[in-house]
Amino acid sequence: MKRNVLTLIIGAVLVVIFALLLFVFQVRQSEVAVVTTFGRPVANHTEAGAYLKWPWPVQNVYKFDQRVQNFEDKFSPTLTADQNSLLTSVYVGWKINDASAFFRKIPGASVPAAQQMLESMLRSAKSAVIGKHPLSEFVNANPQELKFEAIESEIELSVQNELHTNNYGIEIEFLGIKKLGLPDNVVQTVFQRMTSERQVLISRFQNDGVAQAAIIKSAADRQASEMINNAVASATRIRAEGEAEAAQTLPVFEQNPELANFLLRVDALKASLNQRATLIFDERTPPFDLFRNLPVNPPGQ
Amino acid sequence: MKHDHDHHLDQDQGHGDHGHPSTPPEPGLAVDTGSQALEEALRSSFIIVKVAMVLMVVVFLGSGFFTVGPQEKAVILRFGKPVGEGQKALLATGLHWSFPYPIDEVVHIPITEIQKISSTVGWYFITPEQELSGEDLSAGQSLNPAIDGYVFTADRNIIHTRATLYYHIDDPLRYVFNFTSASNSVQNALNNALISSAARFNVDDVLLQNQAGFRDAVQMKVTELTEQENLGVTIDNCEVQSVPPRQLKDVFSQVTTARENRTKLLNDAQSYTNQVLSSAGAQSVAITNLAATDRDNYVKSLKAEARRFTDLLPQFKKYPGLFAQQKVAEAMTEVLTNVQDKIFLPEREDGKTRELRLMLNREPPQPKTGASTP
Repeated sequence: MKRNVLTLIIGAVLVVIFALLLFVFQVRQSEVAVVTTFGRPVANHTEAGAYLKWPWPVQNVYKFDQRVQNFEDKFSPTLTADQNSLLTSVYVGWKINDASAFFRKIPGASVPAAQQMLESMLRSAKSAVIGKHPLSEFVNANPQELKFEAIESEIELSVQNELHTNNYGIEIEFLGIKKLGLPDNVVQTVFQRMTSERQVLISRFQNDGVAQAAIIKSAADRQASEMINNAVASATRIRAEGEAEAAQTLPVFEQNPELANFLLRVDALKASLNQRATLIFDERTPPFDLFRNLPVNPPGQ
Repeated sequence: MKHDHDHHLDQDQGHGDHGHPSTPPEPGLAVDTGSQALEEALRSSFIIVKVAMVLMVVVFLGSGFFTVGPQEKAVILRFGKPVGEGQKALLATGLHWSFPYPIDEVVHIPITEIQKISSTVGWYFITPEQELSGEDLSAGQSLNPAIDGYVFTADRNIIHTRATLYYHIDDPLRYVFNFTSASNSVQNALNNALISSAARFNVDDVLLQNQAGFRDAVQMKVTELTEQENLGVTIDNCEVQSVPPRQLKDVFSQVTTARENRTKLLNDAQSYTNQVLSSAGAQSVAITNLAATDRDNYVKSLKAEARRFTDLLPQFKKYPGLFAQQKVAEAMTEVLTNVQDKIFLPEREDGKTRELRLMLNREPPQPKTGASTP
């Protein structure tokens, strides 16, 4: 009897497990499930958890990833408003926000199909938006003229609107430009322009350096000669001061100009015959007038 | 099926074991002992089945043990739904237990470690081997848009720039359950930040004058984007490297050289200025000092003269002739001591003037003959 109870319990558990497998399904966090009855969507479970359903073939469960998915379109050329061919690639973060709409509208309800559709939408949105903006609004040092983010949000808005009107059950979370480029022949002309710009810079630096240095040096020379001129001027002034001061002593000599004159001449004599001089004199010059009365040899000998 | 098979096996063994009695059984008894043996066998096999089942349950429950490493957190999904609300759902490092699949599912999330991601959307094509060996492929004429990346600067120059971003996950639940690949989204935010920041900077700022400003702009933009996109990450740091295109490497380095030369010229001019001005300063000080000395000497000597004059005046007044002769004699003595050559020329007896010819060839550069008579 005891054994029978145990067997019954085990049997019941097995039946319950089997029933659960048939009648219950799980919706994982980040998933959304669409339940169809004979192919027609009837319920939409966005909350994670366990739910009941009728077993196949009555009801079917389709699960979709509700998380934000990344998608990048091809790096493709588009004409800007000023007829430049600009290569762009954008990235999109998109997610399924209405699983039953997604299930109905997207072929096979598959992510690749959805992304293919997104790509074609992006292509037309990009060419429409980029065609309205000149290249100068993609790159510009002036923040007022730079429209980079505005362009991104215009593309996003355009795609968002189309998704909304067609009710694809998809929503764009964010969109941004991932890569910009130019066709390779244009790149070459850009390189040529850059080279000539660099050369302008090189010659500007060279000439500017020489010119600036010359200006600095001549300013220094001018300043230096000004300093010396000032010094010479003040030297003259100082000497004049000295003369003025000395002039105060002149009245002393006025007392006896004869003596003053005599002393001056004596000093002058001393000063002029100071060194390396040859002096020729006769006996009339004192003190050699002493020789005058000395006997001399008769002439003509 | 398997069980049945086991039973048979057991039965066979049981037959061998339990049918052990030494003598072969009689036919009548054989039925009895046979069913008895079967019963025995069934009982023992039931025990084995029970043990096996208990073991299976234990193994089943035991498989629910798992460890969470130091660099990660984990979340238990029960029937697909996180156990616990918000941050409480995160299991810390250690040993944990969950119901085995399909009831519970354990999701491991890397968290404490710094995540690193690079953007090469603006870099030319280079294989990691070339990068490591430092070998620089000589570039072609142009850039192939399919493989070579680059960015446009505000002044429409093409340059290469790449970035490495360091971030950590601060909201693991968002990071894992809201994005199929959040790291991919972070990378795209970094790509976008590089391109949109370059579009605002001039080429010389990115490459030279404002590298730090460019780096900050990139990091700010990534931070802004990841916050907008609600990725649940925090940006720690961002490294940016920018170079001119390899095709224009020479001309760019020439600009750098020219710029350095200019700086050198200006520095030289500045040091010339310093030198000239300091020497002019010294010279002017010397000039004024000399003038001051001259002035002092002049004044002093004149004063001394005046004093001497005053001293001599009384004597001169007393004996004018004698005084004069004495002074002249004094002067002559001094002069004659100093003078190098002295020539004495006596007067001719007839009283006529003597003619004297002098050859002077000493100091003056052009020797000239001249006559002089004292």
